[in-house]
Amino acid sequence: MIELFWEVVTSALLLIGGLLMLVAALGLVRMPDLLTRMHATTKAGALGGGLTVLAVAVHFGEAEIVARALAVMTFIVLTAPVAAHAIGRASYFVGVPLWEGTVKDELKGRYDAQNHQLHSSDEAAESARRPDARPPEH
Amino acid sequence: MTVFLWNLLLAIAWVGVSGNFSEVNFAFGFLVGYGILAVASRQIEGGARYVRKVPKVLKFIAFFAYDLIKANMVVAYDVMTPRHLMQPGVMAIELDASEDMEITILGNLISVTPGTLSLDVSSDRKVLYVHAMYMGDEERLRADIKALEARVLEIMR
Amino acid sequence: MLEIVVNIVFLLLSLALVLSFVRLARGPTLPDRVVALELLVSITVGFIAVHTIASERANFLDVAVVLSLTAFLAAIGFARFLERGGHRDD
Repeated sequence: MIELFWEVVTSALLLIGGLLMLVAALGLVRMPDLLTRMHATTKAGALGGGLTVLAVAVHFGEAEIVARALAVMTFIVLTAPVAAHAIGRASYFVGVPLWEGTVKDELKGRYDAQNHQLHSSDEAAESARRPDARPPEH
Repeated sequence: MTVFLWNLLLAIAWVGVSGNFSEVNFAFGFLVGYGILAVASRQIEGGARYVRKVPKVLKFIAFFAYDLIKANMVVAYDVMTPRHLMQPGVMAIELDASEDMEITILGNLISVTPGTLSLDVSSDRKVLYVHAMYMGDEERLRADIKALEARVLEIMR
Repeated sequence: MLEIVVNIVFLLLSLALVLSFVRLARGPTLPDRVVALELLVSITVGFIAVHTIASERANFLDVAVVLSLTAFLAAIGFARFLERGGHRDD
């Protein structure tokens, strides 16, 4: 009885994980621009990977395998948002175009291409661009 | 943090004393340790703060897991149906959080929630730029993120 | 039951692998490809997990540990490279 229960849990985790990764891959192909693609991959992809590895932990239930599975899960779940931030920032910085359906872009024009500063308002960006501007303080 | 270590030590002691090395028993030991700390919290430095904080953290995890599942469904639906319902956009959010650690945690939580992706923090740490998939109801989205921030600050401070 | 589920999940993951390879090949910009590569790694980790369950041997889990770490480093490296002025249209 207990074994059947764990088998059902493992199967459910595997299925959900697999489906999530398929959704992530579908989104990667179907979404119109880079940032929306990243919406699809970073969350569904990381969660799917985490769930399948969790299925391994549940299936074996031995300490050494559970420890390794949990390590993989933590790495995936912790690193996914950081990597997404890094790629998103870099792609915005080099000017990868946004989808034409984008309704609003408050970040536009606030990056300083020379010293990689990001300003908090249009006025700050404007005053930094003036020739007599002092370098920003850290 | 030290009080948390005390709690872990008590849990390990419980597992050792009861001689049952299973995860469930460890969790129960943690609960027992928490009970002991709650009783003795006035004697320990920072104990009262820890005792207050643990339920908040648990509540936050539950709230966040619910959020995660709900938002994942929305994005998955949009990916699978042929027409794009989304109205993506980048918005600037004024931060109440000031510490680097608080901003890091908030930014990562926003990134993990489907539908929002934190792009960058301004160099003066006043504004967080967030890319959102559904800008249709911008006020509500802003309010949601501010609510998340308030919860993070409640735990961190 | 688990055997059937394992086969279904193998199928789902293979489809996902093909789809993300399409994005990897089509681009159009370098960040797109980096994102596709990252998803490829996630799917590979999923494959390793399913294979571990199917074969009842946990040896490959170490590969998953290393993969999940190196993928992160690669993404950060690419982001740095882009910001320091690498080519972006390939």
